[in-house]
Amino acid sequence: MRRSPAFEAFRYGAILLACAITLVPILWMVSMAFKPIAEWQATGADLTWFPKEPTLDNFRYIFGESGSNLIVALDRTAAKPILSSLLSASLGTLIAMAAGTSAAYGLSRFGAGGNLPLALIQLRLFPPMAVMIPVMMMWSFLNLMDTWWGLALIYGIVTLPFAFWLMKTFFDDMPREIEEAALVEGCSRGRVFWRITLPMMRAPLASASLFVFILNWSDYLIALLLTTREWVTIPVYMASLSSSMTGQLYGAKAALGLIAAVPPVVLGIMIQRHLVRGLTFGALKQ
Amino acid sequence: MTTAEIRKDMPTRPAAREADEGARLGLRLTLPAQLLVLFISVFPLLMQLYISLTDWSPLSGLGWPHAHEMWNGFANYVDVAGDGRLWSALGRTALVMAVCVPVEFLLGLALATLFADSFPGKRVFYSILIMPMMVVPAVAGYMFYMLFQSGGPVNDILSSLLGMPVTVAWLSDPMLAMLAVMVADIWQWTPLMFLILLAGLVGVPEDQMKAATLLGASPWQKFRTIVLPRMKTIIIIALAIRVIECFKIFDTLFIMTGGGPGVATETISVYIYKITTQDLIWGYVAAIALVILLVLSVACVWAMKRMARKGQPA
Repeated sequence: MRRSPAFEAFRYGAILLACAITLVPILWMVSMAFKPIAEWQATGADLTWFPKEPTLDNFRYIFGESGSNLIVALDRTAAKPILSSLLSASLGTLIAMAAGTSAAYGLSRFGAGGNLPLALIQLRLFPPMAVMIPVMMMWSFLNLMDTWWGLALIYGIVTLPFAFWLMKTFFDDMPREIEEAALVEGCSRGRVFWRITLPMMRAPLASASLFVFILNWSDYLIALLLTTREWVTIPVYMASLSSSMTGQLYGAKAALGLIAAVPPVVLGIMIQRHLVRGLTFGALKQ
Repeated sequence: MTTAEIRKDMPTRPAAREADEGARLGLRLTLPAQLLVLFISVFPLLMQLYISLTDWSPLSGLGWPHAHEMWNGFANYVDVAGDGRLWSALGRTALVMAVCVPVEFLLGLALATLFADSFPGKRVFYSILIMPMMVVPAVAGYMFYMLFQSGGPVNDILSSLLGMPVTVAWLSDPMLAMLAVMVADIWQWTPLMFLILLAGLVGVPEDQMKAATLLGASPWQKFRTIVLPRMKTIIIIALAIRVIECFKIFDTLFIMTGGGPGVATETISVYIYKITTQDLIWGYVAAIALVILLVLSVACVWAMKRMARKGQPA
């Protein structure tokens, strides 16, 4: 459809403004991550949008090196929280995807599952805060408190609805002729699922896994309640970075925030095509 | 003779055998998910119900199985009804919802309309605009914490716009802190509205729009009579998702203000978090949580029934 030049000008103006508002908070954190300690708290006329003397000191600092005499070295580095986030989000994704994919196939092909779809929608609806007390009690009974595998288990359950609904729409979309041909050839149902359906679904499986991984990686509240010291994740560690000894460690936190923000943004842009489907529980496809 | 043995002896028809095989496989495939759901619903609900009838606290020196020694009947539930701080937290949560969801919807719809047809640079702009929703919410909270410092960039921009030094302490003023928290939520979740509404807008048939243009319909008329009816379901889904998520609001807000100053930005999740970790009155928290779960369950079942009756794909 042809549009008038005035409309085009308005469109670009509005979009550029929206992009600027979108980018300012992100760029401020990126800029802060590369600022030396002297520029962290600059105000008024001294406040600059870009670091005057860009440095990697903030990144060195959170990994245990204190190049400056101005701040106390950290007693715990960011390495283990990063590992904890990675391990718990990955295993959580594996749990959600394994249980979600097989249940989605069971429902899509055989109508199995009974109340499961409704139960999963309810699971998605409830604020996690409203079930955390019994979860904390169960987790300490099972010795899962403050472990990455304990976090992974609850992540797997919390993101199970997404994995299930996403995979169900993918299975519903998949043409059944190939499966039926294999059945006629004498393949068992189980073999068809393992040998034919799953390999064909490699791309959707990858997208769904990345989507679920982003959700797990983004958690703060659950880790805040279920980890205390040994296996805290990045956001929990980040919030604990300031103390009366060190004051607010702006640059160091920004550096860590950048490390936390990059993987989901990159993965999210990679799976753009499926974001709508994932977020709307498959009600909408792009 | 068991049924399995009978079945082995009978010559079964292949179709029947296959349906049987399918049903058994379906059951096995859904089992792990069923178990996980049971694990996270049955035990927690029973435990929650049990301790909600007691004064139990992790500091009480008793293991939770002995909580019945501190039995107090329905006292906790009576307290819930009269808990002013709880009701104000609910009110604040509703306020955040009432402001953020419509603003996000309108901004998202406006942006989606601008993206409805193709133009140079569309893909790049699109990727930029959807970035906020992928930023870890806790990190987004920290971004806005920095932005809203009294010597921070927000005041810097305002200073240059107004031509005079602005040093507002955003996060220590009750009203402004609420505003700051809402701005952060709008920044992060308008992209979600944009994404969903754009997907719906693209599905509107072009030829109908062209015909309407030829017939001299104004853009507003076209929007109201062609676009809106087709997008109804999508709009409901988008709004429902945001309302649900807004009700849970915690991460960004907690990092920015911790619910403060005082209790000025204390939403329902923040309130429950605080009495869980600071006051440690778990029996009482369990009662609050159960009431919330009950109300939400009823609302959820009601909404699903309504949708099923209308025959709309949910």
